[in-house]
Order: sequence, then C-alpha cells, then structure tokens
Amino acid sequence: MPSMMPTARADFAFGGVVAAAVSAFQLGFRRNFANWPVLMGRALFYLVAMAVLTALWDKVSSQRLAGTLASSLPQGGLALYVGVTEWITLSVASIHLRLEDDIRLGMLEPHLLRPKPYLLQKIAEAMGDSAARLLGLGAAALLALALSGRALPPAIAFLYIAILGPIGTALGVLIYAGVGLAAFWVRRVLPPYIIVQKIWFLLGGLFAPISLYPAWFFGIAIVSPFAASIFMPGNMMIAPSLAGFVDALVAQILWLVLLGGLVALIWRAGLRKVLREGV
Amino acid sequence: MIPTYAANIAIAIRTSLMDRTNFVLNSAGMVLNDIFFLILWYMFFAGFRQVGGWGLHDVARLLGIIMLVVAISGVFFGGYRDMAATILRGEIDALLTQPKSILPRLLARESIATAWGDGVMGIWMLITFAGLSWTDTPAVLLTLVCGTTIYVASAIAYASMAFWFTGARSFARDLTDFMLLFSSYPGSIYSGMTKVIAYSLLPAGFIVLTPVAFLRNPSAGTFTIIATSTLLYVSLAAALFHAGLIRYRRGLVPTG
Amino acid sequence: MAILSVESLRKDYRYVRRRPGLSGLFDRDIRTVKAVTGISFEIAERERVAIIGPNGAGKSTTLKMLSGILEPTDGAAAVLGFVPWKQRRQLAYRIGVVFGQRTQLWTELPARDSFALLRRIYDVDQATFDRRLNQLVERFGLGPILDQPVQRLSLGQRMRCEIVASLLHGPSLLFLDEPTIGLDITAKAAIRDFIREHAGAEGQTVVLTSHDTRDIELVCDRVIVINEGRIVVDQPTDQLRRQFLGHRLVTLRSAAPEIALDLPGVTRRTSEPHLSVFEVDTRATRVDAVVEAALAKGGIEDITIEDPPMEEVVRAIYDANRAR
Repeated sequence: MPSMMPTARADFAFGGVVAAAVSAFQLGFRRNFANWPVLMGRALFYLVAMAVLTALWDKVSSQRLAGTLASSLPQGGLALYVGVTEWITLSVASIHLRLEDDIRLGMLEPHLLRPKPYLLQKIAEAMGDSAARLLGLGAAALLALALSGRALPPAIAFLYIAILGPIGTALGVLIYAGVGLAAFWVRRVLPPYIIVQKIWFLLGGLFAPISLYPAWFFGIAIVSPFAASIFMPGNMMIAPSLAGFVDALVAQILWLVLLGGLVALIWRAGLRKVLREGV
Repeated sequence: MIPTYAANIAIAIRTSLMDRTNFVLNSAGMVLNDIFFLILWYMFFAGFRQVGGWGLHDVARLLGIIMLVVAISGVFFGGYRDMAATILRGEIDALLTQPKSILPRLLARESIATAWGDGVMGIWMLITFAGLSWTDTPAVLLTLVCGTTIYVASAIAYASMAFWFTGARSFARDLTDFMLLFSSYPGSIYSGMTKVIAYSLLPAGFIVLTPVAFLRNPSAGTFTIIATSTLLYVSLAAALFHAGLIRYRRGLVPTG
Repeated sequence: MAILSVESLRKDYRYVRRRPGLSGLFDRDIRTVKAVTGISFEIAERERVAIIGPNGAGKSTTLKMLSGILEPTDGAAAVLGFVPWKQRRQLAYRIGVVFGQRTQLWTELPARDSFALLRRIYDVDQATFDRRLNQLVERFGLGPILDQPVQRLSLGQRMRCEIVASLLHGPSLLFLDEPTIGLDITAKAAIRDFIREHAGAEGQTVVLTSHDTRDIELVCDRVIVINEGRIVVDQPTDQLRRQFLGHRLVTLRSAAPEIALDLPGVTRRTSEPHLSVFEVDTRATRVDAVVEAALAKGGIEDITIEDPPMEEVVRAIYDANRAR
C-alpha cells in the first residue's frame, strides 16, 4: 500500500532516530524512580559526603591562615562549590559498565540488527538515568541547603547552574562512554575507568576550584573538557556572572560536539574491529 | 577456634586470588585511587599549610592507618562487607547445622582482593609521608589492632540490622562506606553534629582520629579511650548480632 | 529405640505485610502463618524416613526445627537425646545436613579443600578423616573429580560432593533436604543408591524431604506425608507403594489418531488426537508389557514414561485419608 510507505521509511530517517532516542531516555529516567531505594541511598551518600567536605572547607575558610591560599577563597567558603561539583559527578550514570557488558558478552549483535543506532540509544538511556539522578540529588541538595541556614548566592546563580549542571553531567556521560568503548580493545575497562575518572576529578576541580591550582596547572586544566564539565558550573556558585555563564556554555557546547564526535569515531573503529575479527 | 578461623580464611583468601588478572587489576586500581587522594592532599597542604592544626604528616598517618584498617579487615575478615545480604539470603542455615560459632564463620566467608592494594599503599604512606620513626611501631600496631576491631565491629552492627529490616541489604553497606568517608578526613574539621556522628554512629573518631592523636602524643589517657571504645564497640556488635540471631532462629527474619 | 521423637511440635511465622509504596511505611499489617500445626512422631535408629508434601506444607520448617536451626513456637522434640534448638552445637557433631538447593562447598576450589576445612569445623582427627574420606571417595567414585574446582563439576558430581561433605564427621543421623533436585536420571539413581547403601552399611538414620516419588520409593522405608502443617499419613513405604506409589504415566504419540490398550491396571487418563496418556498400576501390569503392547499396535512415534507428580500423589493420599 503506497500510503504506508512514508511511515515505514520515516523509521530510518532522522525523526525516527530521535524518537527512539527519546524513548530510550525515558526508559533510563523511569528505571531510576522505579528503583527508588537505590536513588535514596545515592542521595544519602551525597549528603554525607557533603557534610564532610563542607566541614573541611568551612574549617579552612574560618581559620584564614595568612600567607596561604586561604586569602583567595571566596567569602562563603567552598561548600556551595563542592555541592555543585559533587552533584554533577554523582549523577553521571555508569554507562561504561553497560557498554563493557554488551561488548564483552557478545550482546552487541542483536542490537546491531536493529534499525536504530546502538550507541545513540545507549547514550540516550544513560542521559535519562543521569537526569533522574540530577533531579533526586538536586532536590536533596536544595533541601539540605535550606536547612543549613547558609548564606545563599544570588538567585540567578541557581538558574545558571540548572543549565550548566546537566550539560556538565552529559559531558561526564560522554567521557564514560568513551571509557566503556575501550572494551573493544582491553579485557576490562576498570583500569582506564579509574585513570580517566581521577584525571576528570583532578582537572575538573571536584574538591577545590582549579583556580586555586598553580598557574601552569590551571592553564592545562581550564582547556580540558573536565573543567567544562564540573569546574565551570561549580564556579557559578562562587562568581556568578552572565559573561562567565556564556563563556561556560560555549565551552560546554564545544566539548559536547567534540566529545560526541570522538566517541562516534571510537565506536566506528571498534565496530570495524568486531566486524573484521569478531569479539 | 583460632586454627578453624585460620583454615577458613585461608580458603577464602585462596579463592579471592584465583582469578589472577582480576586480582592484579583490582589491586592496581586501588593503588591508583589511593595515589590520587595523596596528590590531592599534597596539593591541599601546599596551598593551605594546615587545617585545624592537622598537617600533611597527620593526614598521611590517618590515611595510612585507615588504608591498613581497610586492608586487614578486607583480607582477613572480608565477610563483613556483604554480611547483611548473606543473612538475608538465608545462608546462616547451613552454618547453624555446624558446631562452630556463626559470626566468625560469616567473617571468614570472603576475602576481598582489592584490600591488598590498600595494604601496600597504607604501608608506603606510613613509611614515606607520615614522619614516623621505627620506635613508633608498637604504637602503630596498637592503633591498627584497635582500629580494625572497631571498623569490623561497626560493620557487624550495621549488618545485624538485616535481622530486623530487609532494607538493610544495601543500607548496611552504605553505612560502612560512610564510616570510611568520615575516617578519611582530618579530625579537626568536625564540630557539632558531624563530631557527634564521628564519635558514635560512624566511629571514625575511634578508628583513626584518636589513634592519630595517640601517635602524635602517646598518653595513658588516649590509650584508655582507644581501649575502652574498642571493648564497647565489640560488645555492642556482639550483642546486636546475637539478639538478631535469636530473632532469626525464631523464624522472625524473612529470608530467601 | 527412638533416636528422634517429636511431640506436638508447632511453628507459627509472623510477618509484616507492607502495602506497596510510601504508605506502606506507616500502614502495616501483621499476619501469622501456621507453618507446622502440632505434629508428633518418632523415628527409630537405622530407619530411613521421607517427609513429603506439597510446597509450603511445612517440611522444611520441620527439618529446620529438628536440626536446631529454628526454634518452635511450641512443643517438644528430642534428637539423639538433645533438644535441637537448645543444644544445637552438641547435636551438630552428630548430624549431617544437606540442603539440595544450597552449597556448603567453596565452588571456586576443589572439593578436597572444603573437606579439609570441614575436618576442622567438626574437630575430626586427621587419621579418622583420611580413613573416612578414602572410604567415601571410593564408594562414591569421586577419585577423578576431587581435585577439580567444584564449579567445573556437573550438578550430579557436585551433589555427591555435598553429601560426602555432610558425612565426613561420621554423623549417626542424616537430614537431606531435596537431595536430588535438578539432577538427571542417572545422577539421581547414583545418589539414591549411595544414600541407601552407605546409610545401611554405617547404620545411619536418614530423614529426607523430596519432590520426587522415586527418592522415597528407592531410599526410604517409611513415609510421613505433611500437608498444611499437619501429618496426613505416616506408614511404611511398602504399604503406601501398594496404594499410591506403584503408578506410572505412559504417554504415547502415534500416527493413528487414537491408541487403545486393553490391559489390567491400565487406564486412560487423557487423550487428544495422536496423543494418549495411560496410568499404569505396575502391580497389575509391568511398564515394559504396556510398551510392548503399544509397539505391537504399530505407528508409535514417541513414548514417555514418568512418575506421577508428587502433588498428585499427595492429593490422592490426602483424599483417601479424608474419605476414611
């Protein structure tokens, strides 16, 4: 029947790919809420980690030792900064484990038979998963912040963070996706995962803003995707400004495109290897 | 009792080392992880010199002790980590048909391969960065024995919740992680509520903080605190576990 | 002389039923399940007794109370002179327990290592241990598999190792909970032969639960049927066999739409085109005679011979007793 043709073809077209990705995103999102005790546990971990890190930075900024970096700390200390960076990193879904499982256990074939791009589906699912975590942890953070009686940054900072935070998490998902695809070449992705994660935390400024690092180190960190993913959103808690926000947004979008392209290249290379040699 | 435990844990250790690749990867992963935290603290003290009177030496002692505590617990009492899940799976049944005490059997059920990496790093940390001399060895050993005892005792207490709630399966592990988290930061930062928690529910205060104070300035008073708290946490864990076991044997714990 | 006696043994489980969702945190509903409702029986030395019944009948609960794992709500029991739930450890040295669905072996290592650990757990001296292990290994034909990791063994080999593990300390009473579950026919047969021969030679008393009517027929000389927490029947296997156990189901797939068999003790259970199920009372006609008669008709494509499922046997016993 001719009238059926356009719909059938649409499945292979751009709209169909997007629809499938949206559906994968929703799946990842819902899975988190269906498994709410795990999400609660994660939120609790976040709050306990924050209790400790807040205690650390509050102590440092309360003593303000002369002749140390303490003089360059912001007025309210770094508690809110770390609150944002931890929020982003704890929200990133473990896409590397899922990719490793699929690749190593030979589960790729059934996916490759499907008409939608496998990698995009997986990434969309992980993004949905991360979005649910962002919401859950974000709610916990706002509640804890309200109860703590801490001085708040201007309201606009929260708007900036609400935009930059999720993009930062998306960058994290892409970074871990790249790590997961290493399974095409290495037996276990654990070693590359640990290395990349630590570099991410260090260059991204998870525990302290990279602006406190020595100048040469800051110079390296700031031009990395890691800084765009966590330092830049976190910095909005310390120094919120429209200019800073726009710069951060531009950097994030740039890295989103670059990392997305890089992950796609790794995927193609891996797939070629599989098609040539088998898993 | 001790030969049985030794035979039991020896089997668990051999099992944990069966998969060589996994063992090497996991241990190496732990070493990388620990080096990362060392770098962070190094940078931190380069920038801020000290926090509440704690310097790099103190933090190195703290990290060295907690890594060794985790290492000893993991290698020799590794069953602590999944104890709640083990209880809820009903695995105690088979142990109850055998004549030896249940708790040691549960602790010797597993040995954790990654713990070896922590052990290597802990020793390295204490030797290289902690500013200790060989004469401190007895004090270090004492803190390790007490710290490990309190750490494992607390984990047993958390796991014993499984006798009361099925939700303890993952919650007990979370609490153990929180205890570790609290034990990885300088004691001087805690005040108010966090300090209360660090000396009660998540006893970092007794596992590492007081021991670090003891290493800095060994005194009868600090020693008494460490010894008393060790006894207290052991009694508490034993009491909770046995109260739970009684419930279990009355069929009040849903398993399966 | 009775080495195991049970008097009005009762076990209630209380559990909290939570309503799904958050409201369940506040809204609780406490329920009591009567798992065992006052059973009494005695088992003599060297007897081999099967406790059977459908799922949830109270078999496992009874076994757990008798081995000292579980405290009863009410009632009394003496096992080898001990009150199991009060003198658990003393009793443990004298009993062997196998849970068919759970392993007590370290699966990554060869069984030999687990056995060595059990020697320490039960405080068996090395010489006695070596003698027993050699004997068991020989009797069970375990020699070639003793040094292979347990996880590489077949289920049947593994179960043989489980049973050996429970015998190393020389128990005089053996509790076997579903010892043949999941095994294939030859493995089941090997386990049954071993239990019967070993227990006979060593003078051990055996209490087993099973879902398989053959386990009971071939291993046990007495059967206790439990249903809904109470004893329905307690009689010698011979007696029960005559009434309920000597039946087989023979299924014939045929080219012809229907097969008719006119033999004594053979009744048609169900049939659909090309498929007939006959119940055979083996006291009247042997199964091979039925198969022979069927093959003589020609056009038989497939034959299956099965035992009636335990649920059916128990129901039949239950109905017969209620009618009485």
